[in-house]
Amino acid sequence: MAPITDKIRNEVKEIVYSFFADECEVDLASINSNTSIINDLDGDSLMFLELIEIFKKKYQLDIELKVIGKYAVKHPVATIGQLIDMQLLIIEHENRLLEIDQ
Amino acid sequence: MSKEVVITGMGLISSLGLSLEENWENIVAGKSGVKEITHFDAGTLATRVAAEVPPAFDELSRNLIKKRAASQMTRVTRMCITAAKIAVTDAGIDFNLLDRARCGVVMGVVNTGNSSSEKDTTIQNTVFKSMTNSMPAWISLEYQLQGPSFSVNTACASSAYAIAFGYEMIKSGQADVVIVGGADSIINFEEIQGFNALYALSVANDPPEKASKPFSLDRDGFVIGEGAGVLVLEGKEHAIARNTAIYAEIAGCGLTSEGYNIMAPMKDGEGMAKTLELALKNAGIKKDEVGYINAHGTSTELNDRYETMAIRQVFGDGARQIPVSSSKSMLGHTIGAAGAIEAIITALALKNGILPPTINYDHPDPDLDLDYVPNKSRKSDFNVALTNSFGFGGHNATLVLKKYRD
Repeated sequence: MAPITDKIRNEVKEIVYSFFADECEVDLASINSNTSIINDLDGDSLMFLELIEIFKKKYQLDIELKVIGKYAVKHPVATIGQLIDMQLLIIEHENRLLEIDQ
Repeated sequence: MSKEVVITGMGLISSLGLSLEENWENIVAGKSGVKEITHFDAGTLATRVAAEVPPAFDELSRNLIKKRAASQMTRVTRMCITAAKIAVTDAGIDFNLLDRARCGVVMGVVNTGNSSSEKDTTIQNTVFKSMTNSMPAWISLEYQLQGPSFSVNTACASSAYAIAFGYEMIKSGQADVVIVGGADSIINFEEIQGFNALYALSVANDPPEKASKPFSLDRDGFVIGEGAGVLVLEGKEHAIARNTAIYAEIAGCGLTSEGYNIMAPMKDGEGMAKTLELALKNAGIKKDEVGYINAHGTSTELNDRYETMAIRQVFGDGARQIPVSSSKSMLGHTIGAAGAIEAIITALALKNGILPPTINYDHPDPDLDLDYVPNKSRKSDFNVALTNSFGFGGHNATLVLKKYRD
């Protein structure tokens, strides 16, 4: 469990924005927190998994995919802003992610 | 009601080019696409030549396939999707104007080429790259098609089977438009080593362009090629209503299984002959109407001998009057893509009135006495052509194509 600093928050935002701009071949400046991953970027669910792998390595996270899966079912992600918020929660809570709802 | 089925779009990617025009020009000129292998270090293998698709393909596919989707495809799948996009553009189809539930896809897929030559595979993409349904799936996704979409594997006859299934779907009224074809590349260390172990490949490495010599006395096995061929099939009335150009008509097909041997064709070409007979019957074509046969013509001892015997069995004394040529003399054997690539060449031959040659026919085999269109293409106005595809496992297909006349 790691506290979310401004540095981490900015890093996550930068990685997510760059990832989608690169993968979806769109201008970085066209992405904002309200951008829809499916409708605006033609993205796919696999991108979420790829980002998790990136953050698992970067922050050496201890979290199982099934935990994230259970959380995501209750808290579906549609926009870039929502995705960043979820990635921050994952970094902060790791395998205790589901305890947020308790 | 039974419908006539026509070809309205084609896309061809091979060692001889990345467009229909470039391929046809090189085929008519009798050029060979066979060169030393560059995909990997083949120095320790008995076979060190193949017909590789030119490097410019990478840029072409980057222009036609989104980066995200491309990262989930193998190079072979990208060849298929690129050829499909070219074919659909060629057909001038706007799927927004059609009932997508009546538009399908059938692809001949032996494998997706997810081998050691595929260096950029990530863990997340491994499954997508290996799925043998990936080619039809990506085409349906690209155009949001909702009709039947599937792949068929009958080894070297796969994409001929795909064309046959697409033809039947339209003829029986199940679909209005079907995108058919296939793509393949087995130019990798493991596959060449495996085929070398079966003594199936030519080891005449020097000069590479002379290695594939179907029907010649000194033939010593096939040369592996790679590529993709995709055709847009639709009902004739549907095509006329769209006011689109028509390349040729698919008049029928013969599909058989020999039930004989996993590798060798049935003795004396009996199974091949049955397939040819069935195709003619299915198409309602008389034997003396056939003006050209695009042979399976692999450049192996048995195939070329038995295919010649089969043609003799079926056409009798008339066999020597029918020009027979092997595109594999120029393009190598493109395995799962071969049936579609050769159907495209046959359609172009019909449309343009030109017989493509069998190159490297320098030493005739006295036992094989048909007109193999030796070394040079020639003009011929003919109305009906057959194209043969025979696969390991005894999967045989013969397609019947007819010249389209307004």
